[in-house]
Amino acid sequence: MKTLITFIISLILSFFVNNAQANSILKANFKTGNPGITSIHKMTFGPEGILFIGDSNAAQIVAVDLSEHPKLDNSKVKLDQLDKLIADMMGTTIDQIQITDMVVNPENDNIYLSINHSSGVPILLRVEDNVLKQVPLDNVSYSKTTLLNPVTEEAQDRRGRKLRKWAVADIKYMEGKVLLSGLSNQEFASTFRSIDFPFIEKQNYSSLEIYHAAHGKYETHAPIKAFIPTNINGNPHVVAGYTCTPLVVFPMNEIKPGEHNKGRTVAELGSGNSPIDMIEIENEGSRYLLIANSNRPLMKMDFKDLEAYEGSLTTPVSKKGAAVGVDYVNLPFVNVQQLDKLGDSFLMVQRESNGNLALKTGNSWWVK
Amino acid sequence: MQAQSSLEFTFTKNQILIKNDKLQKGRILVFKGEISEDKLNSSTPILGKTLKTDNGILFIPVVPFGWSQKYTLVYNHIIEYFKLTIPDSYESLSVTEIYPSAPILPSNLLKLYIRFSRPINTTFVYDHIRFINVVGDTLPRTILPLENPLISDDRTLLTLWIEPGRQKRGLGPNKQLGPVFNKETYRLIVTKDIKDNNGVSMQEDFIHSFSIGNTDRIKPTIDDWKIDIPEINSISKLLIECSESIDYGSIQDNIHIIDNSMQEIKGTWQLLEEETILSFQPREPWKKGNYQILCNPEIEDLAGNNLSRLFDKEIKNSSNEESINQKYSLRFTIN
Repeated sequence: MKTLITFIISLILSFFVNNAQANSILKANFKTGNPGITSIHKMTFGPEGILFIGDSNAAQIVAVDLSEHPKLDNSKVKLDQLDKLIADMMGTTIDQIQITDMVVNPENDNIYLSINHSSGVPILLRVEDNVLKQVPLDNVSYSKTTLLNPVTEEAQDRRGRKLRKWAVADIKYMEGKVLLSGLSNQEFASTFRSIDFPFIEKQNYSSLEIYHAAHGKYETHAPIKAFIPTNINGNPHVVAGYTCTPLVVFPMNEIKPGEHNKGRTVAELGSGNSPIDMIEIENEGSRYLLIANSNRPLMKMDFKDLEAYEGSLTTPVSKKGAAVGVDYVNLPFVNVQQLDKLGDSFLMVQRESNGNLALKTGNSWWVK
Repeated sequence: MQAQSSLEFTFTKNQILIKNDKLQKGRILVFKGEISEDKLNSSTPILGKTLKTDNGILFIPVVPFGWSQKYTLVYNHIIEYFKLTIPDSYESLSVTEIYPSAPILPSNLLKLYIRFSRPINTTFVYDHIRFINVVGDTLPRTILPLENPLISDDRTLLTLWIEPGRQKRGLGPNKQLGPVFNKETYRLIVTKDIKDNNGVSMQEDFIHSFSIGNTDRIKPTIDDWKIDIPEINSISKLLIECSESIDYGSIQDNIHIIDNSMQEIKGTWQLLEEETILSFQPREPWKKGNYQILCNPEIEDLAGNNLSRLFDKEIKNSSNEESINQKYSLRFTIN
């Protein structure tokens, strides 16, 4: 009898689970098979366990359903010598691999690392019980869209080699839109794209021209290195970080395709530096912006300060290496190469001062 | 575990085959390096798939085995070591072309393209590329380091951005460090430790010398371009003599020829003579008629000035000069 009740309960449960899957509007056009991912450069999670992969080599965005991975407690995760470990797993040397991104699925705390190997093979790894496992990408539920302008024929040289490239610098998801920043090998311009999701066959995307404040006489439209979509004073904004290192805010409602959209520079985070990753953490009613940098420590900015700052920086910083604008604090984490949110804290890939490359969590004390 | 007997196996870059094994069971484990038996348990096996086939048991690694790398193979308590040696006929990686190819370049040069003979390993690629001045010093902060380098699909053409923050006036790096180049002679070095997709290095450093001339703050103008019209009924090349070197990347897919009925003429474009001449070879013979050469305004000179704007325009006199009387097409007639 007990068995029968268990069976009935599990049947009812499975009905609800399947029904939830079948009713997913976001995954309605997903198909199962090999999406043909040729490189993984940047990743981000959307809702329902959908991982968005920016594949610069194939100039595509692939949405992969990873909702089946079980919920994990990764709050104590710590992997040392991460680069050596991954190189050993691939039978290769450290100089042949690149850890291109690290993301956490906010719905189940699974951690994913993307690796590109010199042979051109992309690998997705998942952390389970402090062990790295491969996530095969040759038979998955997916949907994808191209980043190439469908109007023009792909440029090829006389030997048939494709020449136009568009490298994804950052990718984020917000309310039915995949947002991308990137740089092409043709024009040094700020290409910021917004692609509707679910992807449709005839994809319409907006290519937005966004500029950060003029430095004195000269206007610049450098590419965005890292960004987050967020709310500032209740309105949707993009907070964007550029090389060397202006932090610029753009009101989403005002960004229109084909128009010249100028942002407001709210901070200069110091020269000789480039932002790597940005995340937003909310704790006990306070929101913090964390910025990982190439040549500066991990920075923490309080959204209250960001929201209160009404100015716009228009003149270059005169004191060498100094920072101006919205206040921030440097957290005691240098050489943070990858950063994402994990629960109420954060997760990093950090090159520690002893040379060790570690995957580890930050203490939530820092963001409370 | 004892090494009981030897295994009959073959290996290539992409697989290991254990032949005619009667047991047909057990997992193949492969490790990087020569691992002794007592260290096996603490070592990380290589990711890969084990498959049973008619010929034996196959192991396929997720990424190909590397040349000159030692590996340990473990199957049914038997340990074997193997290494792939580089074939004698292996053609090592080399640099085949550099764009721009002119010996004198503008001081505000924005992009440089390196063509390799084989696909390259792009990991830490910027560590292998440097500029050296006449006295042999390496210039600091010359190339924009991108997390994802701009490499072509076949991974042979690498685009380098000469630090735009220094080349563009008014930005912090430009104010603090000045532009990347002075009016001197420099050498671009691609060091021999750069590796190809098989992990094999170049045999020698690649060195390309160039001199720096004047700053280019003039937009390229197609009105100055001279067209050498080909003969009717021939497939001879249409040549466009530009007044300066054109950026290799920005011309790709950005110039087209259409006939009177707006149909695109199919053919191949090439850049010749230090990228100052655009050459178009049609697939079909030229017919009598009027043609238009359509240029995308994104076509740039070597300093990032395109047909519609300067790379670092001054804001005060911007909008007037743009968009008015801009012309992006040229006409020619074949009689």
